Amino acid sequence: MAEASILEVRDLHTQFRTLDGIVRAVDGVSFHVARGETLGIVGESGCGKSVTAMSILRLIPPETGRIASGSIKFEGEELTRLSEEEMKRLRGHRISMIFQEPMTSLNPVLTVGTQIAENVVRHLHVPWSAARDRAREMLDLVRIADARRRLDEYPHQLSGGMRQRVMIAMALSCDPQVLIADEPTTALDVTIQAQILDLMIELKEKTGTAIVLITHDLGVVAETTERVVVMYAGRKVEEASVEALFAEPLHPYTRGLMRAIPRLDVEADIAGTRPRLQEIPGLVPILTKPIIGCAFAPRCGFATDRCRSEAPPLVEGSAGHTVACWEVERVRASA
Amino acid sequence: MTSYIVRRLFATLPVMAVVALFVFFLLRFAPGDPAAIIAGDDATAESIAAVRVKLGLDRPMVEQFVVWVGQLLQGDMGVSIFSNLAVTRLIAQRLEPTVALTLSTLFVAVALAVPIGVVAAWKARKLVDRLAMAFAVLGFAMPTFVLAYILIYFFAVQWQLLPVQGYAPIKQGFWPFVESLILPSVALGITYMALIARITRASMLEVLAQDYIRTANSKGLATDRVLLLHALKNAAVPIVTVIGIGIALLISGVVITETVFNIPGLGRLTVDAVLKRDYPVVQGLILVFAGAKVLVNLIIDISYAFLDPRIRY
Repeated sequence: MAEASILEVRDLHTQFRTLDGIVRAVDGVSFHVARGETLGIVGESGCGKSVTAMSILRLIPPETGRIASGSIKFEGEELTRLSEEEMKRLRGHRISMIFQEPMTSLNPVLTVGTQIAENVVRHLHVPWSAARDRAREMLDLVRIADARRRLDEYPHQLSGGMRQRVMIAMALSCDPQVLIADEPTTALDVTIQAQILDLMIELKEKTGTAIVLITHDLGVVAETTERVVVMYAGRKVEEASVEALFAEPLHPYTRGLMRAIPRLDVEADIAGTRPRLQEIPGLVPILTKPIIGCAFAPRCGFATDRCRSEAPPLVEGSAGHTVACWEVERVRASA
Repeated sequence: MTSYIVRRLFATLPVMAVVALFVFFLLRFAPGDPAAIIAGDDATAESIAAVRVKLGLDRPMVEQFVVWVGQLLQGDMGVSIFSNLAVTRLIAQRLEPTVALTLSTLFVAVALAVPIGVVAAWKARKLVDRLAMAFAVLGFAMPTFVLAYILIYFFAVQWQLLPVQGYAPIKQGFWPFVESLILPSVALGITYMALIARITRASMLEVLAQDYIRTANSKGLATDRVLLLHALKNAAVPIVTVIGIGIALLISGVVITETVFNIPGLGRLTVDAVLKRDYPVVQGLILVFAGAKVLVNLIIDISYAFLDPRIRY
């Protein structure tokens, strides 16, 4: 499988120095992305999914954080060993990224055209006029009407959905092999969310760009991704194909997440009420203290003494479906 | 935009009117009497009264004010009590050195401050930043005249690279003109440099923490493009505002510098006129200064629209 994968993250540890001590934001995460694949990374806020994304592009601010150990291989090249200059040539060119906040992620004082074209000029070394043509093409591609006029507009003249389209146009302008999308639709209206996700999937088919989709929204994952990594407290707790995960989630945390999704397909009872959504009790652990045992144990109904003292290894629950839980069999039996 | 500028220019009229009113009556309520100064130390009450009548200072104040405003509306600022020269002519003669000194000081201050502030923000909390800010604090704390004398001692007296003092009008040749401005501009500019550099650093630091800077970095753009285009353009509004305030402060700062370097500008004309209670000259000068400040403010406000497309008038 390693041969086919374009991006391979192995045992990544990213840490931040804070006044309360070292935060282990990413604590030994491994996954891989195959060429042209869509991988979802799911978890609650603060589980380390965005830090994982920023680590891949080596955008962790050096004043506060660092990649402490682990390997990030992109097309066989070890990114953790590249110089900053080499990373700059790679960012926005072969791996690009889009962010959660389309309202603030575009520069307010530069035109849309400039912001897309500068990426093209930087990486493809073409003159500005050609880059502008490319920018217009990209706006057409993300279906922004009247692209020629939009090029000269500023971000504040566009709606949130349009700005995210511009972000996508910018990110894809140099035909990257991997697109990392960090909560790309979270800040958007529900109807716009669906449009943006559809657009991303359509463009992926067209360009063959692999997508790493980071989200807290299992609904988004179900609709768009092929494989899913579930993260909790900086660790990977479960990984499976999207079908396998939704058919039989094996980690109690994943099950908790799924029970927290509102469902319209469940019949209301005679009184007209639907089953209440269930939240996961407790809070995400504080990451400044080393976590002993399973990080989810304090919130887990299945937890035993072993869970609280010994970290569970990732084991294969079924083919291609790995989970880090000592009590898989009991979880599975509980249905 | 044009209609905005026209409206703003009209709006300056009431401001100028209030300034005129204040300066006129404040001067007359302030202690000191030009008639007594002209009549001399051993003047009798009668001779002082005679001078007052000759100058028209014996008339009711309101009448004097109306006469002065009437003249102003015809572009006449009156005549100096002491030299009998037209105030407009006195000011016109002294305008060039002051404008030249103000602009060259501003140039020195901005040319030093913006790069220092940008680098300090970029290398925030590192050695370069600490050195730059220490330099800025030192520049701010140092009185202009002390720095002026230090500069004169080394550059003019010891090494004889630049003239000690004086001013060479631009029509005497460009190089002598520039030479005569270097030391005064640096002496005066360092204070404003410090102010502008600190604001540049603070504004840049705020901008560098924004999401769109992360986006720019995620595109792998060169550091200079991220700093100078993506960040500095966003940080520019507060910087330009402080530069504008700097111009206003400069107009008063110019007085000391002109004295130390013996430059015949408006600053020294003001000091002389105030000491002699030369009412028409002081009134004219203050109107000119007020007009300059109003104009600078307008230019600053207009520049916002060019720096930030979200600002429209």
